[in-house]
Amino acid sequence: MTKPAPSQLPEVNEDAGTSSVSRRTFLRNSGTVTAAASLLASAPRGVHAAADNTIQVALVGCGGRGTGAAANALSVKNGPIKLVAMADVFESKLNPSYDQLVKQFPDQVDATKDRRFIDFDGYKHAMDCLSPGDVVILATPPAFRWPHFTYAIEKGLNVFMEKPVTVDGPSSRKMLELGQQSVAKNMKVGVGLMCRHCAARQELYDRIKGGEIGDILMMRAYRMAGPTGSADTKRMPAGSNELLYQIANFHGFLWASGGAFSDFLIHNIDECCWMKDAWPVEAKACGGRHYRADSVDQNFDTYSVEYTFADGTKLLLNGRTMPGCHDEFASYAHGTKGLAVISTAAHTAAKCRIYRGQKITPKELAWSFPPDEPNPYQLEWDHLIAAIRDDRPYNEVERGVQASLVTAMGRMAAHTGQVITYDDILNSDHEFAPDVAKLAFDSPPPLRSDSEGRYPIPKPGLVTSREY
Amino acid sequence: MPVASFRLSSIPAVFTIAMAIVPVLRGDDPPPLDVPDAVAATEAEMKPYREMISLSEASIDMLPIQGGTFQMGTPEDDPEIEEDDGPQRTVKISPFWMSKFEITWDAYDVWMSDLDVFRRRQENLVASPREQLAEAFQLSQPTKPYTDMTFGMGKRGYPAICMTQHAARTFCRWLSAKTGRFYRLPTEAEWEYACRAGTTTAYSFGDDPEQLDDYAWYEANSEGAYQRVGKKRPNPWGLHDMHGNVAEWVLDQYTEEGYEPSDETLVDPLVIPMTLYPRTVRGGSWDQFADECRSAARDGSDEEWIAQDPQNPVSIWYLTDALHVGFRIVRPLHPPTPEEDAAKWDRSEPVQVERPQAEAGEH
Repeated sequence: MTKPAPSQLPEVNEDAGTSSVSRRTFLRNSGTVTAAASLLASAPRGVHAAADNTIQVALVGCGGRGTGAAANALSVKNGPIKLVAMADVFESKLNPSYDQLVKQFPDQVDATKDRRFIDFDGYKHAMDCLSPGDVVILATPPAFRWPHFTYAIEKGLNVFMEKPVTVDGPSSRKMLELGQQSVAKNMKVGVGLMCRHCAARQELYDRIKGGEIGDILMMRAYRMAGPTGSADTKRMPAGSNELLYQIANFHGFLWASGGAFSDFLIHNIDECCWMKDAWPVEAKACGGRHYRADSVDQNFDTYSVEYTFADGTKLLLNGRTMPGCHDEFASYAHGTKGLAVISTAAHTAAKCRIYRGQKITPKELAWSFPPDEPNPYQLEWDHLIAAIRDDRPYNEVERGVQASLVTAMGRMAAHTGQVITYDDILNSDHEFAPDVAKLAFDSPPPLRSDSEGRYPIPKPGLVTSREY
Repeated sequence: MPVASFRLSSIPAVFTIAMAIVPVLRGDDPPPLDVPDAVAATEAEMKPYREMISLSEASIDMLPIQGGTFQMGTPEDDPEIEEDDGPQRTVKISPFWMSKFEITWDAYDVWMSDLDVFRRRQENLVASPREQLAEAFQLSQPTKPYTDMTFGMGKRGYPAICMTQHAARTFCRWLSAKTGRFYRLPTEAEWEYACRAGTTTAYSFGDDPEQLDDYAWYEANSEGAYQRVGKKRPNPWGLHDMHGNVAEWVLDQYTEEGYEPSDETLVDPLVIPMTLYPRTVRGGSWDQFADECRSAARDGSDEEWIAQDPQNPVSIWYLTDALHVGFRIVRPLHPPTPEEDAAKWDRSEPVQVERPQAEAGEH
């Protein structure tokens, strides 16, 4: 794969956005991989070592998304694949996840009780159940991504990791370095930015490249809905383990998840940057918390970001988590010749469309992707497993870190009230949870509350070099 | 009310209760909320009134519908007759109020997004006894929609869509608890009686589909989306959008083979639904042809309407692919006793139970 070396990335500026070579290469690969997948069931080869060609999977992080990812993994139809180990810090997550997967895939779940681990180092035990070439799913909150990925590299495993993959500058620098190591070891690594694997968006991308909307002048992205996930976090119940409380409510704490901003907005940011074929070089932003009541999390409930690309093109992003307001969960690209709808309502179905002119009206519809789009959550797994069985280069870490980083750039711009450049966020020295790899059940949490159970919040204009 | 005060984010969904075991309005309940013109003891006293949804700006305009007898279904000699919308039967309907418009997002979102509870929390208000009763029907709905359920078609003043019949029924029970007045979905017979508004023609304005554009949003004029309620002419009894805009849930099971023939006059008939699919929607929609918007035209729900739900098991609240389905509500002049309600109006099977492990997860 002809990716630019990750080590060049700290010097981004103009280069910040030019991952186009790797992107197009990726697209070509994913196309061939898909085509190849159907031929491969009887002809697996390459790095996968298991004698019978069964790919073994371990699930680290058994919440809703991790369980969904495991189900997608077990649904790949190009050869034997089974789930052999699971890990979480919550029994209340692991057990129902196991029960549901057993029910859905009775012949493919072989995570016996001795291979189900409830502990902060459970990820090591789960990965110890695998052989080089098997796959580990890293689906904990992103704070733990880099230590878990470090161990996966040590073990020579292929990896599927959920987005975001980093939450701040220091962890991004670590992950870029780890990504480089994983490429050098020929590890196949998928990142859960599944929209990149969506057939509708891929065709739209080709059409935009083919000039169907002219040059992109401006893009808009929205995720505006009511309170989502654990972002609106209530005060900790008396007597709780504070570390576990923060992990359970990971959307509420920047160290754990990058907050509501990173977890909820990364897909819309990423799909726009994909269509633009570049990463933005700076961000300025507004945001605030209008409704807080007794919530103690670190999030704002409105975010409005202006991202600027190296050529001056803008991406305007709006995020809101207030109930009762106008809802919109969509991305658009405005070009000199027309308008592209990148996504319509959430992630799938994307219902990608192109309109002549700048208005969404049936009369001006120039193209639309046909109904019954394939599910991108499944496609991302079909592509990863096919690459493993066919031993093709397949590594999405760099792109995943870049997407996480430009997301954090917009978040930091809102939380500090300052213009934040790609360099600023990449080289930021505020590591939210430097000791995350050492956490254990009895550890103090990375963020401490005051005597009334409240946590530090961003103070735009007052605290400007860090987010809190 | 032992189950009234759960906060949705703090309890596992396994503790939530099935709707069927929550008691309905009882004699010792707090009095109804006072709104002008909402009280009537006899048919003659029924007036239009505006139902208010407390702790929100939403309201629902209700119109009185006098009782009467009509021929339900499409006449046999009508060339548009479908297998499912005959044979005609004589049906007697008791008086009720019906909402003048389809229920809009403005009202539905108060329930769906717990806006009133949210407001209480922000303003540090104490729940009134009625609001405490109502909580049993809203906070027991722990999963919020995963997607933008307006699908970019508009929200304020637009009809709510994509709800299951169970969600529409639960909205009615919440509204009943909140106001102290008994609301429910219409029966199929009530719906058609109100739609016809005394007419015997294919539409409430006559037989000519060419005139439908004046009365309805349908495939030919909707530009591929629902429209604000009340923008087209009403029917003779003042009801808007009975033809078109969004199809409307009624209580009945759908029967593809049509109605059970009867020589006798049926009084307030209801086919109690005993399977989840198909159940009946009426009135046609923005996405349907003129003949599907006739007063007698029927449609049945289908599992296709939830095909894209990414959750397993699928939601009991949202129909991801029913962008054409909404509802309106009725209030019978003479509300049933709790026993009558449980035996007839509120009865449906299978009982809908929230799935275990429901959580508002991010993907």
